[in-house]
Amino acid sequence: MSSIALGQYYPSKSFMHRLDPRMKIIIGIAYIVASFLCTNVFSFALLLLSAVVLIVISRIPIKVVLRSIKAIIFIMLFTAVLNVFWTKGKPEELLFSWQFINIYSSGLYNAAFIVVRIVSMIIGTSIFLTYTTTPIQLTDALERLLSPLKVIKVPVHEFAMMMTIALRFIPTIVEETGKIMSAQKARGADFTNGSISKRAKALVPVLIPLFVSAFRRAGELATAMTCRCYRGGEGRTRMTKLTLTYRDFVALFFIAAFIAGIVLLNIFAPGYTMGG
Amino acid sequence: MSKIKIENVCYVYDGGTPFETVALDNINIEIRENTVTGIIGHTGSGKSTLVQMFNGLIKPTSGKILLDGVDIWEKPKEISKVRFRVGLVMQYPEYQLFEETVRADIAFGPKNMGLDDAEVARRVHEAASFVGLDESSLDKSPFDLSGGQKRRAAIAGVMAMRPEVLVLDEPSAGLDPAGKNTIFDGIKRYAAATGAAVIIVSHSMDDMAKYCEDLVVLSHSKVVMSGKRNEVFGQGELLEKIGLGVPQMTGLMMMLREKGIDVPADIYTVDDAEAALARILGGAL
Repeated sequence: MSSIALGQYYPSKSFMHRLDPRMKIIIGIAYIVASFLCTNVFSFALLLLSAVVLIVISRIPIKVVLRSIKAIIFIMLFTAVLNVFWTKGKPEELLFSWQFINIYSSGLYNAAFIVVRIVSMIIGTSIFLTYTTTPIQLTDALERLLSPLKVIKVPVHEFAMMMTIALRFIPTIVEETGKIMSAQKARGADFTNGSISKRAKALVPVLIPLFVSAFRRAGELATAMTCRCYRGGEGRTRMTKLTLTYRDFVALFFIAAFIAGIVLLNIFAPGYTMGG
Repeated sequence: MSKIKIENVCYVYDGGTPFETVALDNINIEIRENTVTGIIGHTGSGKSTLVQMFNGLIKPTSGKILLDGVDIWEKPKEISKVRFRVGLVMQYPEYQLFEETVRADIAFGPKNMGLDDAEVARRVHEAASFVGLDESSLDKSPFDLSGGQKRRAAIAGVMAMRPEVLVLDEPSAGLDPAGKNTIFDGIKRYAAATGAAVIIVSHSMDDMAKYCEDLVVLSHSKVVMSGKRNEVFGQGELLEKIGLGVPQMTGLMMMLREKGIDVPADIYTVDDAEAALARILGGAL
């Protein structure tokens, strides 16, 4: 149970790690948009190159990155196969035909494009948001970015606090689940054999104590926070202030140049155009 | 003959990765029949890992665990049968209560054993009487009981399987002295009635001195001492060295001997100390 990869933060002091988390959220979103702007071989090549560059400057070991891609390999292959067989191109693009199966060159292009897009998107977002940013930094940044919503009475601070607490307690609850399962196994509970409905029923002796203790913990935490005079976001000061540095502007410049590059390649580069 | 024999058992967490940690290092222990054995050690000494090996919740990386001379991992598919024979009460067992009534919760184990209703009811009644839960509290929700009662209900849940070996991990943690005594009395009643071997894990020297006949001392994943109570407590200096100390009364007697008062060295409980002092003072206590 303990091997579940949560909070995949990878500690280091790279350029990427030191960016302001607010900027990383903005750039992360811009990067996703950029991956959807790509339409031809050249812009997709630039996208793939950018993913490699991101890995290099964030100094995340390639093994770690590949692990996050492995998780979605099935979805990737599935969409790729769908694109190969279901894309209906122009007659002159037909490469292979047998009974009802028709494969067009445009289908192969689309499949490759989709794979590149998914891979880059996963690499991009995980490097900006999970590998180089701690969950705490992330919620902090979200709170700041969403703070304009306070004007229309959205409890932004409270949402951010709830998120932080939820993240904090995931490992605790995973550990607790393991303990309760062991305890019930010691009384002869069987979680691995039997029909699906039998196995679902076998989870009741785990889930009930788990919920009970989650509520108990929540109550205790609320009391502890009250004892330390927590009273919500209003007038609350911070221990770590987020400040933009030259790095953040450098990063912003590069992402803008990157998007401009993609747009230019889309317009001027030759070859097959997706969705065209 | 020994009830449980642990032979050269090692356990390694995250083997083959940089996070590899040795939790148990070549452990050899014999648990005698009809005996209360105490396992003492610091937090992190490997006690809790060891405890989960007795009933096959954790499989040793190497080595054997023999129950009545048979390796419990000989047939891995039948490990659940071992769990009925070796009952394990984990730390803070009250957090595993889940049924609507205490009666139903105690019945969970025996029901999993496939016993018929009449036998289950008999086991529940018997287990409740061991731990001193009266008939009226059996129909309450386990969540309405007091802390001590919850703990006793959870222990009864394991006793109801009538295991030949009862293993308890820190059974008295977080209880007041009265609650502690009730728990240990319940364990004693169970052992007396069934002849089961009992294994108690704790870091309280005084509890161990009071209730255990045999002792095993763990430190840094290894067995440092094991044997009869007086053999282990006789090595007070070594116990002090690994930071565990001796029971308070043993310590007191050691101090008295240093002052030149001739008291016996093998004093572990308040009752023993009282008797010894009364003898010296000519029955004036």
